Parts: sequence; C-alpha cells; structure tokens
Amino acid sequence: MKWNKYSKTTWQAAVAACALALTASGCASGSDTAATGQRNGPLVIGASVSLTGDFADSGKAVQRGYQLWADSVNAKGGLLGRKVEFKIVDDLSSPTQVITNYQNLINQDHVDLVFGPFSSLLTVPASQVAKRYGYAFLEPAGGGPQVFAQHLNNLFFVQPAPSVRAGDVFAKWVLSLPADKRPRTAAYAELDDPFAGPIAESIRTAFEAAGIKTVYKQVYPAETADLSPVMSGIAAAHPDVLVSGTQNNDAYAQVKSLVQLKFSPKFVFMSNGANSPLEFPDKVGAANTSGIMSSGDWYPSSTAAGSAEFAAAYVKKYGGTAQQIDNSSAEAYACGQLLADVAKKAGKIDNATIIKSLHSGSWPTLLGDLGWNADGAPTSSFSLVQWQGGKLLPVYPAAAAQSAPVYPKPNWGG
Amino acid sequence: MHALIQGVILGVLTAGVFALMASGQTLIFGIMKVVNLAQGAMVILGAYLSYQLFTSFGLDPFLAIPVTTVIMFALGVAVQWLFLRPLKKDDRSELSLLITFAVALLIEGVMSITWHTTYRSINTGYANSSWSLFGYQITLVRLWAFLLSLAALGLLYLLLNHTRFGRAVRATVQNPESAKLLGIEADRVSALGFGLGAATAAAAGSVYGLLYPFNSGSHYDLISKLLSIVILGGLGSVGGAVLGAVIVSTSSAVVAATISPAWSEMTFFVILIAILLVRPQGIFGTTVRGAL
Repeated sequence: MKWNKYSKTTWQAAVAACALALTASGCASGSDTAATGQRNGPLVIGASVSLTGDFADSGKAVQRGYQLWADSVNAKGGLLGRKVEFKIVDDLSSPTQVITNYQNLINQDHVDLVFGPFSSLLTVPASQVAKRYGYAFLEPAGGGPQVFAQHLNNLFFVQPAPSVRAGDVFAKWVLSLPADKRPRTAAYAELDDPFAGPIAESIRTAFEAAGIKTVYKQVYPAETADLSPVMSGIAAAHPDVLVSGTQNNDAYAQVKSLVQLKFSPKFVFMSNGANSPLEFPDKVGAANTSGIMSSGDWYPSSTAAGSAEFAAAYVKKYGGTAQQIDNSSAEAYACGQLLADVAKKAGKIDNATIIKSLHSGSWPTLLGDLGWNADGAPTSSFSLVQWQGGKLLPVYPAAAAQSAPVYPKPNWGG
Repeated sequence: MHALIQGVILGVLTAGVFALMASGQTLIFGIMKVVNLAQGAMVILGAYLSYQLFTSFGLDPFLAIPVTTVIMFALGVAVQWLFLRPLKKDDRSELSLLITFAVALLIEGVMSITWHTTYRSINTGYANSSWSLFGYQITLVRLWAFLLSLAALGLLYLLLNHTRFGRAVRATVQNPESAKLLGIEADRVSALGFGLGAATAAAAGSVYGLLYPFNSGSHYDLISKLLSIVILGGLGSVGGAVLGAVIVSTSSAVVAATISPAWSEMTFFVILIAILLVRPQGIFGTTVRGAL
C-alpha cells in the first residue's frame, strides 16, 4: 500500500516534469500555429477511444458518434465558421495508454478541445490529464461513482444520470402507482459488477423504504454461465416484482430460465441487456420480451432535440437500421451537440467558456435535457422503457412517454 | 427443498454434456499420457461450427453433430500428427502441456478473427420449452442434451469394448510397450484417439452452444472445469469422467440454488481436495507410470 502511494506520487512528479519540458521546448513553434489556428484553421478535437482491446466494440461506436457529429456540423458550415476535425487515437483499452494519449493530444498536437474515452476505467485517468491542462472534459461513457468522486469541475458526463442511478426511474414509477396496484414482494438478482448490481441495489433501497418486502436476493459472479439455479430460487419465492441488475448475457440467461421455469412475475425490470433493441429479442425470443422494462437514454423513436436527424445521418453513413445504433454513438454525438450549443450561446468556443457555460442551466440534446452538479454528475433521469408488441418504447416519465406502461406483465410468449 | 430438488435435476441433466467433453479429455490422456489443454477450445470450436451451420443453413444443432464431429475428428488427427507425434517419448508429458496450450491459443485466435468476440448462442425454436413434472421443470434442451450425451457415451463404450480399434486403444492405455510388441501401431492409435477426443468435443460443443452463450474466450472456464472432472474421476478412466461430471454439475447447481452461485465453484473444489486426500489417483484412477 505504502509502496503504491509512493510510486504514484513519484510517477506523477515525473509526468509533470516531462510535461513541463515538453511545453518549454515545443512552445516556440507550437504556440504560433495554435494562435493562428484559433482564428481561421479548423477546430481540432482530440479524443482517445478504444479501437482495440476489451472495449473495442463500444470504443468504435463512440468514434462513429463523434465523427457523425463533425460531419453534420461541417455540412452546416462548421462551428462559428471553423471546420471541425477529430484527432482520434487508439488507447488499446488500457488505462495507462489513455494517459499518454491525452498528454500527446494536448502537448504535442495542441488540439483545441478534448472529448472523453470509453468506460469509467479510462475516463478517470484521462479526466485528470484534462484537468491538469485546464481542458473541459465532455465524456459520453464514464458514469461510475469513481468518476464523480474526483470532484473535477471540468468534467461533464454526457448521459441523463450517473450509471448507478439508471434504474431509479423504475422505482419512481412503481411508487407512483396506487397502493393496491403496487407489488408487495420483490426479488433481486444481481450481477457482481459495478454497473449492474448497484442499479438494483438503488431500487431495493427505495422499495424497502416504501414497504415492498424483499423475499429473495442473490448476487452472482460474472463467470456464472448457468443462471437456472438462481432463477429456480426466485420462482420458488414467487415475488411480484423481479429487479435484475444485469449486463447482457446474464439478462438473456435470466429470461430464458424464467421461461423454462414457467414463472412470470407481474413486473420485471432489468438494468441492461433488455434495453438493446436487436440483441434482446434475438436472444430470448421476441414473444418473451413483452412487458419487460429497462431504462435508456436514447432509443430510435426518441423525439428529443436532434434525435431524428442523428438517426437518419447514422443510417446514411454507416448503413443498417436505426434499431442497430449503439447508444454509445448517440451519447458521443450528444457531446458534440453540447459544444455547438455552447458556441451558439456564448459566441465563442474555448475550454473556459465550455466549463463555465455547462455548469449553469439545462442543455437540450438527443438524450433529453441535461444539466450537471459541481462534480460533473448529470442531474436528470433515464427514461423507463418497456417492450410492447415487439418494440422498445419509452413509457415514463409522461413527458417522454410514447405509450402507457403495461402491467401486470403479460405471460411469457404473450 | 423445492429449490434443492430442482437443483439436483438441473445438475444431473447438465452433467451429461460435461461427461461427454471430459470423456474425450480422459481418453486422450489414457492413450497418450497427454493432458490436452486444447479440449476446451475444441468444444467451443465445435459450438461455433454448429452455430454457423444453424445460422447459415438452418441446420438443427443436434443434426449438425455428424458434420461437426467429422470435421473435428480430422482436426484432432491433424493436431496429433503435426504437433504431438514429433515429440520424444521422454518429455512428451511436459512438452505436450505447452503444445496443447499453444493449440488452444491458436484455435482461440482463429475463432476471434472469424466470429469476433461477441457472445453467441444457438437459439432454436425449442430453446425455451420445458416439461412440468410434479411441479418441477425439466428443460427440453437439457433433457435432449443429456440423452444425446448418454447415446454418445454409449457409442464410445461400444467402440472401445467391441471393436479392434477399441482393443488396440485399451491395450495402449494399459501397457504401451507390450501393445507395440503385439504389433499395434502406437502412432496410428494415438492419432485416431486424439481425433476421437476432438470428435467428442465437437458433439459436446453443439450441445454446449444450445445451453450457454459462448465466445472465443469461453474455453478458459471450460478447461479448468474439465481438468477438475477428469482428475476427480481418475485420469484415463471414462467411467470416472462421467461420475466426476455428475459430482461437479450437481454440487454446483445445488449450492447455487440453495446458498449462492458465488460459492458453487468453491464447493466443488473442496470436494475435489477431500477426495484427492483420500484417493490421490482419483475415484477410478490407477497409478500410472510415467504420468505427470
């Protein structure tokens, strides 16, 4: 522990020294181009995303979102008359490479602005680098508690709420029902993962406070391939509502097991997996999706600011259908929308202006209206989505709803 | 109590699939004294093959088994011929660990290039069907998988006990030197035996793909489970592999259902250690000369 701490400080000092040396030597030539570039040249936004490694799929989705926004803004004559260019580098999904990348983007490439990488794991070290150089840090994919625990005022998580609060909208909806319609008993099946279990736990806290009795709770490790034993425990406990803190495969496995066990709770909420428009019906069978709830920030039929334009442009550039769009692309695109809005409002675009502007008021994006607290944690909430007739529709809150919530959940296959 | 019995049902049904995978593993060890670390990767490759046949041609995974086993048999023979045969007898046991691990990595690499790392599963029309029996649910897929595994194990038994090839295999298992003296071509038996092990992996893979989502990295979890099963049952014993599989699957399903999935693997290893303390050679194992 002690060694760790020591080595960290030495390392930070070394990085700072290197950075100083770099700026000192690179200043004479670099500042010139940067100064002229500020006026006429393109606005260069640097970002490190995972094009290879564990996060490659999501990283590429982020890259598509960034690029798509640049294309759309350039088609309209750029940002305040300047063409937007992205300089995207690969971080191999590595938390050390991501530091090197942002150091280089800022000190060698002298990019005007930076956007975030994919995952909380990479966002934490990356945002530290951005903070050190006074860069605003709009990031679409780092919403874990450790990101906000840094208390950085330059960071803005571009989603409606911190990741662990993604399911709170379900609790809110359930508790808004008349007392005789509410569930009385609840079961919780939670994947041991910082972005799955805590979402269900947050719902459990709200439910227990409201008197909904917990009849079953189980946390399972990520390597659990077979969820049938857990689900048979749940079927035996016969709860009114099942709250599942899931990622993807475990969500599919849970539904399949429940179907096989012929147990259909009155309410089912799954934090992730159930909100993927294509994979979920494909994996569990379209007929079994009916009535299952999840939460989301963007869906193809969304009517939020710029959403339709985004979906159309995406399909035109990358092919496929709107249903196939990864949410990470929408979230990345929203970072660009915010930038354009700041530029429009302030009449200029630089890091200090972005930080100052975004800390006040609410900002319309394709994810809905966003606002942030002092630590960069977003203060709105996700939408409750439900599978109805083979489609994933927003059902709550009423403002975003495209259909009324259906409950109790229809039986499997109906 | 309900959860306990449901757990036992699940465990026993699942055991069939693992018994099939492990029987190939233990057979290869019996014949060649080679611990095949690529067995898990071969199972996953079998799963991918039957996934591909299902998605491209709509071929049911159960019907795909004759196709995948033939392909994998050829692959197994090729692996033995190319990589294991050249090894000198003295250091075959040690070096084969490295080589089969390399083969596992090679297969994994090819699979992630071909099918990427997204999890796949084979979703047939009957994937979610089940029968109710006295209030307990028996999943159709698991039941078919169990029956198929029994049938495949039965075939394996017939092959080993009622054919010339089987006699040659058993002779090689019991005493390679004497087998050679009697005119059995050890190289040929080894190659065919390795092929046979790969073929059981293919059959098990088709079923595995029906039960669980998988990707190219899934073989790591599998191989640790398989090794435990064959060590528990006794290296080289097909009957031991079956019993080992039943113990592994049932104990983990019961513990997952009644206590917590977090403890299920752990429980099994406790049983494994306890049995090995009493019988270091495994339940049905005999002490083998020259083994690891």
